[in-house]
Amino acid sequence: MTAIKDIINWLASPAIAVTLSMVGLVGAMFCKPLWTKKGGILLFATLIGGFAFSFTDPNFRIVASMPDNVPILGMLFLVGFFFWYAMYQAHLNDARLAKGLPPLEKEDSDKKVFTWPDLVYVELISLIVCSIVMILWSIVLKAPLEEPANPGAAPNPAKAPWYFLGLQELLVYFDPWMAGVVLPTLIIVGLMAIPYIDTNPRGNGYFSFRERKWEIVMFCFGFIILWVVLIILGTFLRGPNWNFFGPYEYWDPNKLVPLNNVSVSEIFWVKWLKTALPAFWLKRELPGILLVLFYMGALPGLLSKTLFKRFYEKMGTVRYVVGVNLFLIMLAVPIKMYLRWIFNLKYIVNIQEFSFNI
Amino acid sequence: MNLEKSWRRLQQQVVETQVWKSIFRVGIPNTNRKRVLAVLGNVVLHLHPVKTRKSGVKMRYTWCAGGMTFFLFLVLTFTGLLLMFYYRPTIEYAYGDMLDLREQVPFGIMREMHRWGAHAMVITVWIHMFRVFMTGSYKPPREFNWNVGVVLLVLTLLLSFTGYLLPWDQLAIWAITVGSNMARATPLAGYEGPFAAQIAFNGVNLVTAGSDARFGLLGGRIVGANALLRFYVLHCVFIPLIAAFLMAVHFWRVRKDGGISGPL
Amino acid sequence: MTESESRGVSAAGSAAVAPTRRGFISWLAVGWLAFAAGIGAFVTTMARFLFPNVLFEPPSSFKAGYPSDYQVGEVDERWKEKYQIWVVRNTEMTYALITVCTHLGCIPNWLASQNKFKCPCHGSGYYRSGINFEGPTPRPLERAAISISPEDGQIFIEKARKFLYEKGQWTDPAASIKTT
Ligand code: HEM
Ligand code: FES
Repeated sequence: MTAIKDIINWLASPAIAVTLSMVGLVGAMFCKPLWTKKGGILLFATLIGGFAFSFTDPNFRIVASMPDNVPILGMLFLVGFFFWYAMYQAHLNDARLAKGLPPLEKEDSDKKVFTWPDLVYVELISLIVCSIVMILWSIVLKAPLEEPANPGAAPNPAKAPWYFLGLQELLVYFDPWMAGVVLPTLIIVGLMAIPYIDTNPRGNGYFSFRERKWEIVMFCFGFIILWVVLIILGTFLRGPNWNFFGPYEYWDPNKLVPLNNVSVSEIFWVKWLKTALPAFWLKRELPGILLVLFYMGALPGLLSKTLFKRFYEKMGTVRYVVGVNLFLIMLAVPIKMYLRWIFNLKYIVNIQEFSFNI
Repeated sequence: MNLEKSWRRLQQQVVETQVWKSIFRVGIPNTNRKRVLAVLGNVVLHLHPVKTRKSGVKMRYTWCAGGMTFFLFLVLTFTGLLLMFYYRPTIEYAYGDMLDLREQVPFGIMREMHRWGAHAMVITVWIHMFRVFMTGSYKPPREFNWNVGVVLLVLTLLLSFTGYLLPWDQLAIWAITVGSNMARATPLAGYEGPFAAQIAFNGVNLVTAGSDARFGLLGGRIVGANALLRFYVLHCVFIPLIAAFLMAVHFWRVRKDGGISGPL
Repeated sequence: MTESESRGVSAAGSAAVAPTRRGFISWLAVGWLAFAAGIGAFVTTMARFLFPNVLFEPPSSFKAGYPSDYQVGEVDERWKEKYQIWVVRNTEMTYALITVCTHLGCIPNWLASQNKFKCPCHGSGYYRSGINFEGPTPRPLERAAISISPEDGQIFIEKARKFLYEKGQWTDPAASIKTT
């Protein structure tokens, strides 16, 4: 028993958990048997079984049953269910499309029904169900209220509201101006740009995977991994002093984890060239600046000739440039995380003089 | 059998009274003509088109996630208004009022409804967005409505965030301290942000703790009385008004873009 | 172009009465510019409205007792809750660290057993001197101005005057008092 828990604790550490969920998500999306009713039952049973098993663990139970964490459990099951449901319907349609049949929705979409009563009653029922759920939930679970506000002492750990814990997790890897200002802005801009970048006319108005594989994989990568998985990490696995704790680990406020981090400039000048750091910032940070310039400036061009040639030709220059830059920035998030996990890297560019750190 | 007959008779009598007719105009919508009129003549139902694609009405297609979000917004507006009867947004009273809402007010679950409703709304917005993406419903002609949706998503999160401060407990003040300190790191406009220290006039920094983006947001250097009042006003009036307006636009556009999407 | 010119010529005779098209256009431009300027001014005043001139925040300077109240080699936490200040005394000097994490403003804890300040929010760690060595924070803790009040010999701490290590300000005479 403890051996299993130890393994799971180890698997849950950020580097491994994020890797596993990335590989798992993309792999799963291409694994057709999962997106059938049987597959759904299997997934659901695994999820429930995992939770039932975990709840026997006292440390897990403490964290998972904090009142503000209950909605996250709900969110997990709902997002999980709807993810399966969308993929299930997508694969039903894909099978039909492969045979040259129209998607399932087509059978109904030509018919029109009266809003009264067909739609009004659906709405009424949803509304009643929703009210009942809300009232029961409110009776069973008290809204949390902690000690009165005290500007002199922060609780340990101090957490943002759960839907921002993904961003709070990013704060570990990026400076506040990136994690708190630039990245959120780009998420919004990126979401808004989706309809204008995506020129694929197919898959409009019905579930389908095979007609828009790339779009769906990318969106789900952002939504499931960079949003949901990071929230789970931040909620359940970040304890006192923002240290990482496995799901079955006791939240020990005295846990000691050294977090010594280095910057690219130190690696390049001190470790490789064995000299002191140059005093002039431009010279000191040149290696990092070149890396960033290459990534944001040269890579889009290179990709347009090689890997992304297809997209470049289909999308045209403007769409391609916007799209590929947003994509690269999204990818930069896990890249920076891996650099931290593998090389203890803190900053790629570290210009303290202008508070400009990447 | 007899029971049903008398029920129908009663119904008929009610809808034929002058009072009923003055309000709803049409009787029981049992003919197509009356069904049309029932929707057209009612300001609330009029958000809908008269007829909808059959595929769009199905739960399996929309999951009613958008509808759920809207309903939760209404629940939150209502419970929030009730909470406002008791809650005073000052440092002296806020926390105590929270305790009283829990202990002293009959049927003291309004705060619970409001808080859990807020969590639920965040979840349903995400699921709605996910559904819209997975059915490709953002594609032409619905690009603009997707963008209205993105703004609504942001507003929903901002509503939750501003509301989080109001109980004035440890959870609240520290979540907002950390959150608002990010504004301090805005490039150029926040005093710890990149290049802010370079904005100076005659050697005097122009972007300081007393003049930067965070100061404008909180009305002070710390999360204190001004911040509480500001967040209260944002939470109760400012953001809900904008959100309500944009929801109207959102629903209007669902209609004008050809109803709920479906295969062409 | 030609059309408007020819009209301008033909209308020149009656220019005193009816405005030419060109004249009208420039008035329009002035009008629009004035409109834009008005809007701009209004938006600016509204933005300025958000920045109050007077603040009712707790006082930021205080008397902190006599130097002998503090043990050498201790991080003193008695002013932490009230004024967000740690007073640290060692064999050379006494200095006042502001207890606000330079990452995002949480209050770190002093972990005497590990000889460091550790922030509960995202795990930044600082040495006793205030210099950061781990976690996401980009810079050391800030020190507040500290002096001996000439009136009564008490320690006087001014939080509004901050000294930043990365700007080389910790050597400033007001950033610490020498232990005698
Ligand atoms: C406060 C938040 C929101 C409310 C109350 C809301 C409400 C609704 C409702 C009631 C519908 C009708 C269909 C349905 O129920 O699914 C709808 C459709 C739609 N929503 Fe939202 N929504 C919100 C946020 C969003 C977000 C975040 C997005 C996307 C980023 C979005 C994009 C759309 C689009 C594109 C449609 C048309 C879908 C179609 O025709 O199939 N909405 N919304
Ligand atoms: S606020 Fe201290 S580490 Fe983030």
